[in-house]
Amino acid sequence: MIYRNLKFALNSAWQSFWRNLAVSMAAVVSITLILILAGVNLLVGHAFSQVIDGFRAKVSEISINVADDTPLSTVYEFQQQLSTDPRVTHVRFVTKEQALAQFKADPSNVVLAQQIDGNPLDAKLEVRVANLSDVAAIDTLARRWPGVDPTDPTNYQGDFVNRMLELSSWLGLAGVGLLAILVVVSIVIVMNTIRTAVYHRRKEIEVMKLVGATEWFVRGPFVIEGVMTGLIAAAFALALLVIAYQPAVDRFRSDIAFIPLSYDPSFVVSLARDLLVGGALLGALGSYIGVRRYVKL
Amino acid sequence: MVLTPDFDTRPVISFQHVWKTYPTGTEALRDVNLVVPEGDFVFLVGPSGAGKSTLVRLLIREEKPSKGKIFVEGVELGRMKRRQLPHYRRKVGLVFQDFKLLPNLTIYENVAFALRVHGEDETKIHARVGEALDTVGLTGKDQTYPANLSGGEQQRVAIARALVHAPRFIIADEPTGNLDPATAWEIMQLFLRINARGATVVMATHNREIVDLLRRRVVAIDAGQVARDDRSGRYHDDLPKPQIRAQ
Repeated sequence: MIYRNLKFALNSAWQSFWRNLAVSMAAVVSITLILILAGVNLLVGHAFSQVIDGFRAKVSEISINVADDTPLSTVYEFQQQLSTDPRVTHVRFVTKEQALAQFKADPSNVVLAQQIDGNPLDAKLEVRVANLSDVAAIDTLARRWPGVDPTDPTNYQGDFVNRMLELSSWLGLAGVGLLAILVVVSIVIVMNTIRTAVYHRRKEIEVMKLVGATEWFVRGPFVIEGVMTGLIAAAFALALLVIAYQPAVDRFRSDIAFIPLSYDPSFVVSLARDLLVGGALLGALGSYIGVRRYVKL
Repeated sequence: MVLTPDFDTRPVISFQHVWKTYPTGTEALRDVNLVVPEGDFVFLVGPSGAGKSTLVRLLIREEKPSKGKIFVEGVELGRMKRRQLPHYRRKVGLVFQDFKLLPNLTIYENVAFALRVHGEDETKIHARVGEALDTVGLTGKDQTYPANLSGGEQQRVAIARALVHAPRFIIADEPTGNLDPATAWEIMQLFLRINARGATVVMATHNREIVDLLRRRVVAIDAGQVARDDRSGRYHDDLPKPQIRAQ
């Protein structure tokens, strides 16, 4: 019986979609536009999160300068202490000689390197911290360590890190907020579109109810029609986004070169999943709400 | 004075002190008491706005009584849960003045629709629809659309749909209201045949000629009350017998 009812609902939804093609297409276009906006939001969010991840990787590394007179055993001891700290993922000791070699290897330091007499650079401990918000704590720990160079303890730029953290959380919040608005708007659009379709079919619904159809028997075809509408819209939105994704990233990169935005083909799979699931859910929910008033027995 | 006929058979429908007041304050029914035994054929008559349609709406549970109780086959309609309603309506055959056919479906599909909502299998649907269309004399028109049928034929389709699930009783609201006298008479013959097979029929009507010719039970509703309940009645109690003859 469930199979027969499902078959009836699928047939009915399919017929209704094509019979009320104008209304159906209006719904598809509306949801497509909403999903394009949502998709752009996801793509931009993903691109910026990649950029931010890049910055995070840079600023989550802190260099602790070691004072020249610090015994090597003290340095190793502190290195050991840092290695066992759960907040730290990696610690590397760079000797004065290695630091100088690194400095000289950098092409931008060629002129300066020629003028250097002896080795004015400090040995350093390069520490990678797992969580960006823990960098400040590691910096404080380093500054309290007796072996640190008191004139230039670390390369930690607290303000920059804090701003990065703030920007990243604001961007995340804005993305979620925008998505929430898009979800509400699209549910309202689908609901009203389905309500129009339901209004056209109110006589059929009345007959269904009078001959003993259950609420779900009446509602089923509309919910399936909503899912169909949502999936078709998601497919259109996805196609347009996939076509526009790479050219848009290329254009952005050529216009605003200092933000290292990148094209990530692997993200298309998760975008497709999100849009299709989102479209189907929006369609189903919009229909469920839109049809509620008419199907109530 | 309200008369309640003393039938031997068990009641299918029973109204006990039923009142219906709409949210607008209109009192559509006032203290209605009515018993319809199994196999009965009841005409509900009365002027427009008397309360006939409200009575029908209460019977199909489109409305609930404001006061009093309605029992159908021992079940109190007012206390029936929403989820039980579809099962109740499957026991009832409904026929309306405006036919309520679905224009996009063929005659076959319209009749089959009443079985599809019950989740019946296609073999059973095919056999039952054929039988119902045969009963109403529409064999061979199963692939026609309602728009291509006359009013009388459309009402036959509606009756076939009401019959197809073999209901225990039929509720008809002005089934001949849109039909010419000859067609109306044909439709009435159908209802009589259905009744003769054992189904209880409750019919709200304005068709004086038919009521007077058939001399079945007549329940007259006036100003929301049962004004008269005659076992073998006429449309108006005080009018002479009509001169119109059936064709």
